[in-house]
Amino acid sequence: MFFLRKYKTIIFIAALLVVALSMIFYNLKYGTDKSFLRKIVLETIAPVQKALSFSIASVKDDWSRYIFLVGIVDENKNLKKEIEELKAVLISYQESYQEAQRLRKLLSLSDDYKYQFISARVIGREQAALSRVILINKGSSDGLKTGMPVVAPPGLIGRLVDVSWHVSRVLLFIDENSNIDAIVQRNRTQGIISGAGSRGLIFKYISKTQDVKEGDVIVSAGMGGVFPKGMLIGQVIHVDKQDASLFLKINVAPFADFSKLEEILILSSDETKI
Amino acid sequence: MITMLYYISLPFLSILLIALQSTIADVIFSDRLVFELSLIVIIYAGFHLDLIKGVILASILGFVLDCFGGSVPGLFTFIYIVIFLCSFFISDWLDTEKIYVIAFFSFLCAFLKEIILILFYYLAFKIDLLMNTYFIIFVQALIIGLFAPLFFYLMSRAEVFFYGKKV
Repeated sequence: MFFLRKYKTIIFIAALLVVALSMIFYNLKYGTDKSFLRKIVLETIAPVQKALSFSIASVKDDWSRYIFLVGIVDENKNLKKEIEELKAVLISYQESYQEAQRLRKLLSLSDDYKYQFISARVIGREQAALSRVILINKGSSDGLKTGMPVVAPPGLIGRLVDVSWHVSRVLLFIDENSNIDAIVQRNRTQGIISGAGSRGLIFKYISKTQDVKEGDVIVSAGMGGVFPKGMLIGQVIHVDKQDASLFLKINVAPFADFSKLEEILILSSDETKI
Repeated sequence: MITMLYYISLPFLSILLIALQSTIADVIFSDRLVFELSLIVIIYAGFHLDLIKGVILASILGFVLDCFGGSVPGLFTFIYIVIFLCSFFISDWLDTEKIYVIAFFSFLCAFLKEIILILFYYLAFKIDLLMNTYFIIFVQALIIGLFAPLFFYLMSRAEVFFYGKKV
C-alpha cells in the first residue's frame, strides 16, 4: 500500500503508456478500432471543423471575388473561346455515345451493379503527414458503409474506411496504404495503382514489354467488386524503363485535385445485379 | 476548482485545437504539409506543467488526434506521452527560456515523432515511407521549430495577462 502511494505518479504514467500500447497492438491484430468513444470524438470534431472551414471558406471566397477581379475580362474572353471549342468536341462525343449505346443494346451488355450517388461535403483533412484521409459530413445514418467508393468528378478518389453516424473518413488513392486494380484505357494493360502521397500515384507491376506511354489514361479495372469498372483515375505523366527492374516505373497524375476537394459523391450499391 | 475546470475543459479544448490546426494546414499549406500545433502545446506543457496534468493533456490530445486521423489508434497517444515525458525531464537540464533552445528542441521532437511513425509503418506494415517523405518531414520539423518560440512567447504574454506574472 505504501509502495502504491509512494510511486502513484509513476504507476499512473506507466498505466497510460500500457493502455496506449495495448490499443496499438489490439488494432494491429483485429483491425481499426470502431469504438463508441472514437465515434463520439469524430461526431464532436465534425461540427467544429465544419464551422471553422465554413468561416475560412467564406473569407477566401470574398477575397477571390473582390480582389482577384483583375484580368477577368481577358479570362472571360478565353473561356468563351474554350466553350465554343468544347461544344464542337461535345457534339462528336454525343455521336459516339449514341453509337456506343446502340452497340451495347445490340450486344445485351449491362452494368454489373446498380449504383446510387450520395453527395457529401468535405469538412476536414487528416493531420498526419504520412497518410491522406479526409473527413466528410455523411455517415451510417445516410446509408454509408465502410468500403464504398468515393468519386469527385471526373473520377474516383478513394473509399470509405471509417463510418460513424454522421461523419465518415475517406482514404484517398494518394495515401501510401492505398492499392487498387487499374487498367490502361487505350490497350487494357492491367496493373496496380498505389498511392505515393504528394507525388500522386504509381502504376505498378507493368512489365517492360508492355506499351504504356505518357498521356495514357488509367481507369479502374473493376476487380473485386469494390470499384466500378472504367472509372477515371489519372493520366500517365512519366514512364521510366529502369535497367535493374523487371517492371516499368510509371508515375500517374490523378484527375482530381486532392488539395481542393470540397464536395464529393459516394457510390452506394444496393448489391443486386440488374 | 481551477484544476477541476482544467480537466473538464481539456477534451473540448483538445478537439478545438485539432480542428483548428487542421484548418490552418488546409488554408495555408493546401493540405500538402501538416502544421502540428498540438505538438508545440505538448512541448510547452513538458516545460511548464506538472507531471500529472501534462501527461493527461498529452494522452487526451494524442487520443483526439488518433480518433480524427490516426490510421492506427493509440499510436499518437503513445508518441505524445513519450514526447511530453522527454520535454518534462529534459526541462531540468536546459534553459527553456532561450529561443534557440525552444526552436532546436521543438525541431528535434517533430523530427523524432515522424521517425517513430516511419519506423512503426515499416515494422508493422512493411511500408518504406522515408524515401518519399524525407523532405516533407524536414520542412515540417523546421516549421514547428520556427513557430515554437513564437507560441512560447504568446503563451508567456497570456500568462502575464491572466495571472499578472509568469506561472
